[in-house]
Amino acid sequence: MKNNCRLVGLLGATCVVASLSPSRVSAEVSDADFKALQQAVQKLTDEVKGLEQTNALVEQKHEQDMQTIKELQEKLSQTTQTANEAERKSAAASQAQTKPVLGPPIDEATVNHNFMMLGDAEFKYVRVQGQHPTFLQSDFAPIFLYRGGDNVLFEAGFDTTLANNAPSSPGYTTTFNLSFAQLDYVMNDYMTLAVGDLLLPLGTYSQRGAGWLNLIPDDPLAVDALIPGSGVGAQLLGAIPIGTEGKFLNYAVYGANGPSSSDGTGNAGALDLGGNVGVRSDGVVANLHANLSGGARVGIFLPFAPHYDFEFGVSGQSGEWDNQGTHLWSAGVLDAALHLGSSFEAKGEYILTRYGSDDQGEVKQRGYFGQLGYKLAGLNLNAPLINNVELMGRYDDVHDGLGTHTRRFTMGYVYYISSTFLFEGDYEIFRSNDPTVPNNQLIFQLSYGF
Amino acid sequence: MNKSNMNKSKPSGTLAQIIFTVLTAILVIAGLALTLYSPEQISAAPPSKSDPSQTNSTPQKIVSPAPSKPVTKKQITGAELYSINCNRCHSERYPTERTAAQWKTIMLHMQVRANLPASQARLILKYLQENSGR
Repeated sequence: MKNNCRLVGLLGATCVVASLSPSRVSAEVSDADFKALQQAVQKLTDEVKGLEQTNALVEQKHEQDMQTIKELQEKLSQTTQTANEAERKSAAASQAQTKPVLGPPIDEATVNHNFMMLGDAEFKYVRVQGQHPTFLQSDFAPIFLYRGGDNVLFEAGFDTTLANNAPSSPGYTTTFNLSFAQLDYVMNDYMTLAVGDLLLPLGTYSQRGAGWLNLIPDDPLAVDALIPGSGVGAQLLGAIPIGTEGKFLNYAVYGANGPSSSDGTGNAGALDLGGNVGVRSDGVVANLHANLSGGARVGIFLPFAPHYDFEFGVSGQSGEWDNQGTHLWSAGVLDAALHLGSSFEAKGEYILTRYGSDDQGEVKQRGYFGQLGYKLAGLNLNAPLINNVELMGRYDDVHDGLGTHTRRFTMGYVYYISSTFLFEGDYEIFRSNDPTVPNNQLIFQLSYGF
Repeated sequence: MNKSNMNKSKPSGTLAQIIFTVLTAILVIAGLALTLYSPEQISAAPPSKSDPSQTNSTPQKIVSPAPSKPVTKKQITGAELYSINCNRCHSERYPTERTAAQWKTIMLHMQVRANLPASQARLILKYLQENSGR
């Protein structure tokens, strides 16, 4: 503004000088005066130009100042906003400190799901040839799981059944058996330690044969008659993946008390596959023979695609069984399972056992079963009732090594009320030289897995 | 026990054996033929997380909730491993049936019971937890 005033003043002075030196004095102006005047005008002109340049620079500086002011104002606005937000957060934090902190939803609290109950329940109707038909509360079999962190699991399975006290007395008895109870510790990716009452890996049926998984109400004869289902001991197990397509090799090595003698003798009929749990009925802690039994299984699983796979395993166990420790009981089992699509399944086990005895010498037992299943859904019929049906068939054969040979033919079906609620029906035909074995029986069973 | 008992047989029993054998043979042959020579057209889509009502419904077909595409050379997924391993012994449960924490407990149980590789069990667990009910 100051420069502008100077410029205006200078211009005004120039005009006055110009207007006050008109023609009336032109005749009196000498050349020297004229030149002096010309130089003065030129000087004033130069000064005007300089002032104009100065003014342009000042205006440019002014614009820069205005821009700076605008930027500073924006920054101030942001700072104010940040300060307000910080103040609000601070207030909220102070408020939160005075209120209880809300936890995760109760269902997500890990502690609630460390403990779980799975299992199955079965109810049967049985009509055995030569006997009256009857309903059976065959089994209620919960499995309790308790997970301690990422690597520790305790699991125990129970079987609850009812049985008449007749013919010796009235009423009934409820049996509550511990089918297995083991503590599992996953030591690393390739080894897990399991201790307790273990489901023994002699074949796979004992470990994977829960009621609703069987699809046929009865267990295979050879599995029930020739090998123990569980044993008290310790086991190392694990699996090693082969490639990246789901194949793997698995193993299990264990030591267990093993079969014993029910009466202490070495007579063949005294073999007790299910006893010897480390404590006698009189409370004495004792193994019923001198040394522990040892066993192992190696298996391979080869999937070709989901629902297309083959599994094969070899397992065995050996150890003393009589009190004197003079006789060995040994078993070898081959197991295999094949799935061809989601509709077809075939599986079976072949079992050989040998044991020495005082009265019968070496007893050689063998048995096997083969089982087939076909889900009619594989026919792709537009019939819901038929699509829910799976046809089952099984052949059992067992030699007990003491002269009894029993075969069983089983034909049946499974109707899937839901994927875990099954209505099964089977007709079984027996052929045996044991006169106590019936010729046939009819079984209907409701199974529920939970 | 004795030889006479062992060798005893009845005409009805023989007939039953023949019928059983024939039916079993038909079952095996038909099953294999239908399985091997007919493309499986059963729906195999994984269960939707947004449709938990499926979990207890009566199946119209015995279908798998996990994908059934052929295994390739690529790294197998948790969903495929779930379908491969679990269906061997029982029908697959829908992931929505359990919470993420419950699946963790169940998978530890199944890793031991079925003696599965730990790395595969982790992939299955991840699939189940990502699609779990809560």
